[in-house]
Amino acid sequence: MKIAVCFKPIADYARLSQKDWKWDEGHRVDTSFIRRIFNCFEESALEMALTLSGTSEHASDLIELTALTVDNQQGDLFLKQLLAVGYNYGVRIQCKKNPDLRFTPLVMSHLISAYIKKQGHDLVILGMQGGEGDNGQTGFLLAERLGWPCIGEVSRIIRDESHDCLKVTSRIDGGTLVQTVHLPMVLIMGHSLDSPYLRVPNLKQKLRAKKKQVIVISDIELGTYIDPQTNHALTNAPTPENDKTLMDLRKPQASQSCVFIEGENAMEQAQQLYDQYLKERLPL
Amino acid sequence: MTLTRTEIVDHLKNILGQERVITDEEVLKENSHDRYKKFETIFNVYSTPIPAAVVKLGNTSQVSEVLKFLNENKINSVARTGGTATEGGLETIVENSVVLDGSPMNQIIKIDPVNMLATAQCGVNLGELEDQLRKQGFTTGHSPQSLPLAHMGGLVATRSIGQFSTLYGAIEDMVIGLEAVFPDGEITRIKNVPRRACGPDIRHVIIGNEGALCYITEVTVKIYRYYPENNRYLAWKLDHMETGFEILRKVMVDGYRPSMARLYDVEDGIQHSFDQFAGKKCVLMFLAEGNELIARATAEGIAKIVEPYEECQPLDSKIIENWFSHLNWGPEQIAEERDLIAKNLHIGFTTEISGNWDCINTIYENALNRIQEDFPHIDDLTMLGGHSSHSYQTGTNLYFVYDYDVKDCKPEEEITKYHNPLYAMIVEETLKAGGSMVHHHGIGKYRTQWTKEEHGSAYYILKGLKDQFDPNGIMNAGTVYPLE
Repeated sequence: MKIAVCFKPIADYARLSQKDWKWDEGHRVDTSFIRRIFNCFEESALEMALTLSGTSEHASDLIELTALTVDNQQGDLFLKQLLAVGYNYGVRIQCKKNPDLRFTPLVMSHLISAYIKKQGHDLVILGMQGGEGDNGQTGFLLAERLGWPCIGEVSRIIRDESHDCLKVTSRIDGGTLVQTVHLPMVLIMGHSLDSPYLRVPNLKQKLRAKKKQVIVISDIELGTYIDPQTNHALTNAPTPENDKTLMDLRKPQASQSCVFIEGENAMEQAQQLYDQYLKERLPL
Repeated sequence: MTLTRTEIVDHLKNILGQERVITDEEVLKENSHDRYKKFETIFNVYSTPIPAAVVKLGNTSQVSEVLKFLNENKINSVARTGGTATEGGLETIVENSVVLDGSPMNQIIKIDPVNMLATAQCGVNLGELEDQLRKQGFTTGHSPQSLPLAHMGGLVATRSIGQFSTLYGAIEDMVIGLEAVFPDGEITRIKNVPRRACGPDIRHVIIGNEGALCYITEVTVKIYRYYPENNRYLAWKLDHMETGFEILRKVMVDGYRPSMARLYDVEDGIQHSFDQFAGKKCVLMFLAEGNELIARATAEGIAKIVEPYEECQPLDSKIIENWFSHLNWGPEQIAEERDLIAKNLHIGFTTEISGNWDCINTIYENALNRIQEDFPHIDDLTMLGGHSSHSYQTGTNLYFVYDYDVKDCKPEEEITKYHNPLYAMIVEETLKAGGSMVHHHGIGKYRTQWTKEEHGSAYYILKGLKDQFDPNGIMNAGTVYPLE
């Protein structure tokens, strides 16, 4: 089974203070001094795929894992980390002209589908949403482009007893659904039921990973050129519909009124909060 | 005759009133340990004997009454306020110990801007004191990573140090006066004067005693004018730790006092995501602080010292400023850490030491090599590195940082399989090279086997204090002093 897990390192926005939220003419906030991290859904997906690959019992049902990202050279650090924890391949799609890909799930789906079609993977796992765009569409668009079925808000993936299928748990309105599915498939990861944290490579694994190479492929090699002026994907196929373009950024207006609860100490404040606001709202 | 657990509780209730004596099982478990045994407690294992009671002390008289009772009946006590200790100093290793919780003593008694003093009870949270001071344009200058959680009593008892120590000093430089209660109930008060030569400095009997000699009830520290608007961060990436130590030494010897001076090796730097900015290099950083003239001169002077070192390449100071502002640990980070440990069985610790300039790089290399060569579970280590964060005229400290996957052992075996042996190797290499086995975390209960070696012939003085002030051995048995 060949699995590709797609991820996109994001700036750790929690480390941006109020005063740092300023944007330039291109509506970009400078995050160059903030560390980048995996978003929580993708971290779950990356760990889940590793757990899945650990369940292979025979050579015939081995799982080959590829970590895939669309990024500049900064993405190599993350790919090296993934190679260290057990990914067979770390692949970075580099767009020639560094276009703004924050709000372009259509473009991302083009790039990923072009790679997947070339490499013949059986399963693609992506995070539900993340980054500045938080688009939440890439997985669905990818599935459409590949012509594969797709399940969203996945919380667990395990191997079926037959090892040909997967048991996929996902959230639906009012509960969870467990489905046994054949491949190929696109799975979109939500909140994991198991560990949301990616395992950490040991010292030996880190040393071995130093010798492994990240595979870099350009958008042109994939037959898809991303026009930096328009952020459109220009392919040999018929021109797709326009993706999104960011027009404006505004800080939300603080619209909620509030009351400051005064008091000498926390106990007094808590008592006031209870007496004045909570008592009548709490069930008898 | 030894009192039973029930009798101890009854006596305490008679002294303090029922509401101040806690015997709830969960509270007792929580108060039986500190961060040294965090792994087992995450899995609800409590291998340390559970105390008989936790008493919530409201004032100095109560401390005196309780200590008198415990002393007369030879019952072990463990002083506790913020609970952020890391070396086992808060473990209640003796059966039916009583935890003396000073956190209800949480009043800031006085902020005195004329004499530049702040007086606080032992249960005052340092973060809250800092907030109060900063509103008035002052600071204690004391900023350990535990600032959001730590209390004044514990900070003084452990001889703690903060992130800005290179300018402001460590706690022993900050404390002007103290109130402490001794095991026989004697309440002592050291007055607030700028300096005196009236015999040895008796503050130092109390500062750093880790609850092994007395109970600190009140602290007066100096305060400083606070000029955050003049802060200047400087940072470089470089190839070698040895070069970094050399630069740190030059900065200190040439008389500069940046508030922060740190040197990270590659591995430890990766933990902080420095590799995203510095690649696989060490990182050297400084913070120049103070009034405009001092901050500027300090920054310029340091830059001039670094300039001739070709291997040092500047880094955007905004990276370091942003990273540094997120270094402290509050309750959210502690909770997240516990979750990560529980789910991934992966944990990290530090062992920090100090050494003079002429041996610190030797200690750094020898300790890491020793672990690489001799630690039997090296395959379980996911990270091994270090950094220096507190420099002096004569030397610096060194944090060894190590993370590991806990494999094939019960939760309570984690410290004997991993933490203790790693710790031992670092301490042994440090003592061999002439360094000190602990810079600021305190001896606690796990380095006591080296206390005599650490002090050599001067152990005579340290032991004398215990013989004089705690002849019945009721003050945090097993801490600082090895159990005989």
